[in-house]
Amino acid sequence: MLSLIARREFTEFCRDGRLFWTGGIILLLLLTALAVNWQHQRTADAERLAAQTLDYDDWVNQEARHPHDAAHQGMHVFKPQSALSMLDPGIVPYVGSTLWLQAHRQSEVKFRPAQDATGLQRFGNLSPAWVIQMLGPLLVIILGFNAFAGEREQGTLRQTLSLGISPYQLLWGKALALAIGLGLLLLPTLLFAMGMIVFTMSGNAMVDALWRTLWLGLGYSVYLGIAIFVVLAVSAKTATSRMALAILLGVWIVTTMIAPRAISDASRIWHPNPTRYEFTASLDNDLGNETRKAWMENFGSDQRWGSEVGIDQWGKALEVDDKAGYKALDHQFHKLWDTFDSQQRVQEWAGFVVPLLAIRSFSMGVAGTDFANHRDFSVAAENHRRIMQDKVSHDLVEHADGHGDHHFDYKSTREFWATFPKFTYALPDRKFALAHNTLSLAILVIVLLAAMVLAHRAVMPRKA
Amino acid sequence: MLKTIQLDKHFGSHQALKAISIDVKPGEIYCLLGANGAGKTTLINLFLNFLQPTGGQVLVNGRDVQQYPLESKRDIAYIPELVMLYGVLSGLENLEYFAALATGEKLPRDKLLSLLQGAGLDATAADRRVSTYSKGMRQKVGIAIAMAKNAKALLLDEPTSGLDPKAANEFSQLLTKAKDSGVAVLTTTHDLFHAKQTGTRIGIMRRGELLTELNSADVSHSELESLYLQYMEA
Amino acid sequence: MKSALFGKVFLHELRVLIADRTLLLVGSLLVALVLYGFYNGYQETLQREHAAQELAKKQADKHAENITTLRALLGGEQKPDPFANPFDPASVGGGMEMRYATLPTLALSPLAFGQSDMLPNYYKVTDRSKASFMYDTEIENPWNLLSGHFDITFVLVYLFPLIIFALSYNLLTVEREQGTLRMLLSQPLSLAILVAGKLLVRALPVLLIMAVLPLLLLGVLRPQLFQADQLPAVLGWLGLVLAYGGFWFALALLVNIIGRSSATNALALMAAWVLFVLVIPVVLNIVVGLLSPAPSRIELATKTRLITIEGLNRYHDKLSSDYRFTQDPEVLLPRDGKIEVAPRRQAQFLIQRDVDKEIQRVLNEFSTQLAVQQMLVERFGWISPAIVTYEGMAAIAGNGAARYLEFQQQVDRFHERWKEYFEPRLLNSIAMTEQDYAEMPHFEWAEVPVQVSGILKRLLLLVIPALIVIAFAIRRMRRFSVV
Ligand SMILES: Nc1ncnc2c1ncn2[C@@H]1O[C@H](COP(=O)(O)OP(=O)(O)O)[C@@H](O)[C@H]1O
Ligand SMILES: [Mg+2]
Repeated sequence: MLSLIARREFTEFCRDGRLFWTGGIILLLLLTALAVNWQHQRTADAERLAAQTLDYDDWVNQEARHPHDAAHQGMHVFKPQSALSMLDPGIVPYVGSTLWLQAHRQSEVKFRPAQDATGLQRFGNLSPAWVIQMLGPLLVIILGFNAFAGEREQGTLRQTLSLGISPYQLLWGKALALAIGLGLLLLPTLLFAMGMIVFTMSGNAMVDALWRTLWLGLGYSVYLGIAIFVVLAVSAKTATSRMALAILLGVWIVTTMIAPRAISDASRIWHPNPTRYEFTASLDNDLGNETRKAWMENFGSDQRWGSEVGIDQWGKALEVDDKAGYKALDHQFHKLWDTFDSQQRVQEWAGFVVPLLAIRSFSMGVAGTDFANHRDFSVAAENHRRIMQDKVSHDLVEHADGHGDHHFDYKSTREFWATFPKFTYALPDRKFALAHNTLSLAILVIVLLAAMVLAHRAVMPRKA
Repeated sequence: MLKTIQLDKHFGSHQALKAISIDVKPGEIYCLLGANGAGKTTLINLFLNFLQPTGGQVLVNGRDVQQYPLESKRDIAYIPELVMLYGVLSGLENLEYFAALATGEKLPRDKLLSLLQGAGLDATAADRRVSTYSKGMRQKVGIAIAMAKNAKALLLDEPTSGLDPKAANEFSQLLTKAKDSGVAVLTTTHDLFHAKQTGTRIGIMRRGELLTELNSADVSHSELESLYLQYMEA
Repeated sequence: MKSALFGKVFLHELRVLIADRTLLLVGSLLVALVLYGFYNGYQETLQREHAAQELAKKQADKHAENITTLRALLGGEQKPDPFANPFDPASVGGGMEMRYATLPTLALSPLAFGQSDMLPNYYKVTDRSKASFMYDTEIENPWNLLSGHFDITFVLVYLFPLIIFALSYNLLTVEREQGTLRMLLSQPLSLAILVAGKLLVRALPVLLIMAVLPLLLLGVLRPQLFQADQLPAVLGWLGLVLAYGGFWFALALLVNIIGRSSATNALALMAAWVLFVLVIPVVLNIVVGLLSPAPSRIELATKTRLITIEGLNRYHDKLSSDYRFTQDPEVLLPRDGKIEVAPRRQAQFLIQRDVDKEIQRVLNEFSTQLAVQQMLVERFGWISPAIVTYEGMAAIAGNGAARYLEFQQQVDRFHERWKEYFEPRLLNSIAMTEQDYAEMPHFEWAEVPVQVSGILKRLLLLVIPALIVIAFAIRRMRRFSVV
């Protein structure tokens, strides 16, 4: 029975060209986005790997020099891109990918791709995720707005119901037809992506990426499922298809256009993040306090790098100064990142009303392109910087501080450089992604259930 | 006044009117009879230039309606089967607007009220929103609009269908009054009695063809009825 | 006669729209959106202006502190600090004195965030390498950058067309569906006058709210709006609103003339909106990126590092010589207008100078690439009025990519001047005097006036498509079917 209803419904989409045209255009966008992103990601990844290796080789092979100068040269670390960024680049275009690990101060991840793009970037980033998140529900509306309202106008609804078909069967039949229509878009995209993964990757990484793709498929199915049941509920509740269309388009505009921006601005009002100026000012302030305290304790003067501390204590001074700074850096950066996190949390909770926000969070989380991943990388990079820095100061304390007034003619050699570890960073695996995104997935599932209940109530036979 | 010459109208392959020639003179009431789908409304639409003929000519007051669309509309007043008005406005406001469009001037309130009264609308209803009106009341506003225009010709598309007998009767009297003041009236109807009663001439149409024309004075009511049925069955 | 009829249609439509509350509803919705958008933009602008003031104060305080220290040292009341010595050009140019080069906000700044949430509107210029400050970005949650902001530009580019649709998607079809169209057109009234009256009655109030309300708010909150040099920007804003709104009204007109039913009209207009506002911009963004891909930032990073290594080798001797202040504290005080600048610090300056020189070529590639991309956007942007309007808004608000690029270039030139000022002093060990402090270069932002020709070009790119659509609608009017 269900398949009968679904088949009739589906034939209708196909006959009147709705599925072919709108669906076709969307599928074209999806596959184009996928191909472009894939190509982009592959070249970037190859280049990153080459540069990362070169960087370490240059470090190990550098000439004999004072270790502090070597620390000024530093090392570059480049953030690896998640394989699934071809499906959902998430925040990647808006965060940097390169970090110069240098002496003295934690630096931020530089070079956001969006900076090398024009203002058009701000209209959005063409990716399969963008297409499904924004245009997916619109397609559901176009295919489904007249599912009930249209039949009511034609009078076929009464006729069908008079045959003894339960309205719930009708509902599920129509839902099935819509699901098949959307599956025709989602499946090829996922299969294409999986094909590329199998084709270009291997081993654990491949398995991880395939799992993530499946999870993404699940997330988007739930998201589109919500759209399907909401559309059917509205179509069943409204008298005319014109009315249903107007309401649904209104809902779409509010939930995909207005709410994400309004809530993003509201989240900034709720959890304000500092501007660059404010951040730098309070970081400088904290660093100043911490380091002065440490200098006072160790050298009896709170004058940093003052003349009281002789050259023969340079290494020690560096060590004291750096270590005092770590606390302030951790405090300030984690405070900033926690603010970002809280802002994102607000948006995830808003997912109850605006499912787009929940799926966006889930999707970039599973794709490994969200802020949690970026933060993980930043922390790893900073830890690497501290390892380098500590080794340098330690070496100076051990070897140079004993030279009295001759500090800078101390040189370290290749043996010392070779003791520095390579920066080997791999993005966290899928467990990390799932642990961070249970909330958004739970919200999506709850909203789906609510939408189903809503649709059931909407088709419930009305008591006279 | 209202004249067609060898008028043809095709909708794609379907021919809705075939070589229709009629001529309604001032002081005449021409009643078009015919089953649903005979082409009566199409003919009216052609007079209003809502449709363009595929052959032949439509003339109002001697002017081709396609060449002079606005001038010819100045000469005709039109009451459709269902007079549709702006529901959120009152009957008076609707009349004021349409009358102003028709005559180009804004009529004073008392003039508008007397027009509504003349059309038989209850004075207390004039300031109510049209969305609360019955079909008959809307029809009466339609009549008032037509009267306000002081047109040389009237085009009526089943104007009395859905009116109660008293209202229909009052309507017939208004038509007769208009005829007497020299207006040319073209009306479609299913009501043979009404046609015989008020019409001066009667045309019978079937599937786009004008089968016959007769003077209503020449036939009795029962003769008209049997003639009509005879044509319809053939 | 014609204008009289037009007036009647206009007044009647007004009455209907007021009576059925459409105007009230849509109008107040638009007012609410404009107010919220304005609030967001205004807050952001205030924040930036506040930061600029704080920075100027910080710079002045630091300067005053340096002068005080300088005098105290000359009077012998204090001992000099080896790394914060007001006589030592290496210390002074390298951070004791700094210049916060800030990009001022314009009068219309609250109307568009543009790139201001991403690119910094100030840089801290010292004699250190560009690589140390030029790649900074504004701090903003990347999620919010991805979502975009709810500013007036968003209201105009994305939501205003939808407001227009809500008012006019069924302007004629609903009359046909209700049956009033036959009543209307049986009067001596031409279709052109009817639609013109209907359109104008809808266009006037929303265009008025959209164009004037933000200006009123600006006029109250930002008096600099009334300066004569703001006139092109203000006129540009009015022109953009009218032309962009006009385009969507023209499209609504065409759809009403062609469309058979209100539902198809709504779908057709939404399809046009999705195409012009959502799809074309993101596709063009990708195309522009493919046609003129950004040079590799990784290459830039690698290059910077390699030059630094070369520098470390080249200035090896200077770097190996020790600071002498522990043995001889007198080296920290000027003698005969000279001060001993530590060779290590000279070396550090030289390395950074060389880095700047050498990476310039790579950096130029980036600016060229961005300029090419911008040119492509200008060349193909006309396909979507949303792009033209968005770019135009960012430009008149002073938050567009071009102004930020110019800012970077001016900062770059200033950075050169700053280094040129210090280089001879640093390398020849010339001590800084109080006189020198007064003469150090200051950053003066040279405003790039809003280009009238640029605005006109944008307006043409909006008006021409609108006129084409209208012309097409007029052609189709002859085939318009009343029944
Ligand atoms: N706009 C139109 N398009 C296609 N066919 C039409 C149109 N208007 C009328 N017709 C057809 O023309 C014929 C005459 O219709 P109509 O003039 O409405 O008949 P009547 O008013 O006599 O009942 C009918 O067969 C009808 O289906
Ligand atoms: Mg009819």
